[in-house]
Amino acid sequence: MNAIQVLSAMLERRLDGAARESWRTAAAEAARGMSPDRFCIVLAMASRYARRSTALAPDAAELARAQQAIPGWNPERWSLLDAVRVSIVWSRSDLARPTIVEALEEAFRYADEGELVALYRSLQGLPDGKRFAWRAGEGCRSNMRTVFEANVLDTAYPAACFDELPWRQAVVKCLFVGAPLWRLHGLDGRLSPELARMVLDLVEERRSAHRAVPHELWLCLGTHGGGRGLAALEAELAGDDALGRRAAIYGLARAGVADRVRSIAERDRDPAATEAARDALAGNCSQLVFRKLDPNESKK
Amino acid sequence: MRFFDPHIHMTSRTTDDLENMASAGIRAIIEPAFWVGQPRTTLGAFVDYFSSLVGWERFRASQFGVKHYCAIGLNSKEANQEGLAKEVLQILPRFALKEGVVAVGEIGYDEITEAEERAYAWQVNFARQHDMVVMVHSPHRDKKRGIRRSLAVAKEIGFPMEKLVIDHNNEETVEDVLEAGAWAAFTIYPHTKMGSERMVEIVRKYGPKQIIVDSSADWGVSDPLSVPKTAKLMIERGLSQEAIELTTWRNALTAYAQSGQIDVEELLQKPEIDQSRLFNDNSVLRGQSPRVERPVPN
Repeated sequence: MNAIQVLSAMLERRLDGAARESWRTAAAEAARGMSPDRFCIVLAMASRYARRSTALAPDAAELARAQQAIPGWNPERWSLLDAVRVSIVWSRSDLARPTIVEALEEAFRYADEGELVALYRSLQGLPDGKRFAWRAGEGCRSNMRTVFEANVLDTAYPAACFDELPWRQAVVKCLFVGAPLWRLHGLDGRLSPELARMVLDLVEERRSAHRAVPHELWLCLGTHGGGRGLAALEAELAGDDALGRRAAIYGLARAGVADRVRSIAERDRDPAATEAARDALAGNCSQLVFRKLDPNESKK
Repeated sequence: MRFFDPHIHMTSRTTDDLENMASAGIRAIIEPAFWVGQPRTTLGAFVDYFSSLVGWERFRASQFGVKHYCAIGLNSKEANQEGLAKEVLQILPRFALKEGVVAVGEIGYDEITEAEERAYAWQVNFARQHDMVVMVHSPHRDKKRGIRRSLAVAKEIGFPMEKLVIDHNNEETVEDVLEAGAWAAFTIYPHTKMGSERMVEIVRKYGPKQIIVDSSADWGVSDPLSVPKTAKLMIERGLSQEAIELTTWRNALTAYAQSGQIDVEELLQKPEIDQSRLFNDNSVLRGQSPRVERPVPN
């Protein structure tokens, strides 16, 4: 199944009566072709029959199908309204042609917060995604956290289409605003010496200011931190922030210093730290392991 | 005591703030043009915004005895919208050279992109040609590199360092700025950029000579009384009267008076508040009786 089929199947299961009729009509109209004006109106009016407060709540099989259709697409946190709007975008028959660029730009320009969220979520399903790179850069500059997160988290788009500079900015902005970095698809594959330098500068700024270092910062070094990175990780381990220490242990494992992780597994006084060290030694140190450290995930 | 808050976005603040600022001793402010929280889409939005900085906002502050100056510039974030940015730079001279515009600002870097650099360099060059002061916004992310870059570009252009104010510094960036001979401004922002306590330590460590304290209060969680609050802590922590006066009043005045757009004599007089004046037939009053001729406490 391709992406629009996966999404349509989810909506067929969740919408009924008049709502389903309205969505089908809108998607069919998008497929037939419509003016940019009409496109904006149809996207806006989706809020009349699908609610933002209703979670899409895909089941495991649906999530797996989404992942298969677009590796990196995770609609776990989408609303029903997001899904309807994205399906309207993906239903257009001109996805590969220049007219979609014009129509989407118009939609972005006049969008409200909810529409922006859906439009950014839709970018991952569009061919030749780099056509929308500037607009995605605007999403990174947004001050609305919902919009920023929709643009960069749980989507295949940034890893595939962001150039180095916006990519690094997106990563570091996640740390600044507290957006869960483990959900930035493809992070592990796009670590770099320059990103490591940026986050190590940030560590120094935060420590000079006597402020906490965000624990997910330790995801950003990989093998690129060098001696400065290892010293920063050791300083975190010497501190008393339990979450930061666990994250630093995974950071050490990601840097490849297994001996040090082993000594922590054997000797550390904090059981949570020894557990993290054993987990990391067992090979669990990809970005996804930070889900375990995400305070919002443990509340669920 | 009297204070100068040389960086505050009054557009986003209320008359309550103005009243509190005046009664805390804030005599003068600078409102630099900035990003309004989301991107503007037309040139007209910039024209109206710039025009409000030299018009309505100046008047509104005056009704509370606060002398309002401003800085005009294209901010770094919106420099990335290159088509619109070009249009904004074209009309910039119409506002930047007006009375009471004490600097080009706030300009600089956000993501440190090429488009940001082009807009920054263009504006620094404009300021050099017109003998103006420049107020530089330093980025949140990759701040150290952003500040080094903004200093380097200004030097390449031949911009005089004594007319350059680099804002939003922290412990990690202050030395670069002081060494370059520019003014190092610090934004006292709750929980993020810089707290009053850290500010006291910085003045202790580096001395007050080139240091300026401001609030940068805007539409976010911020405090328009940051400058007097920090001064109070400086007193409590035993900093000299001179250090406090320099960092919360005189340095800002010295730096921005280089624009020739501050009537220092007039500023030093006790302000008279006449809330019965009107701007385009509008006053800020909503049925209250005007508070006329009450001087702001020193």
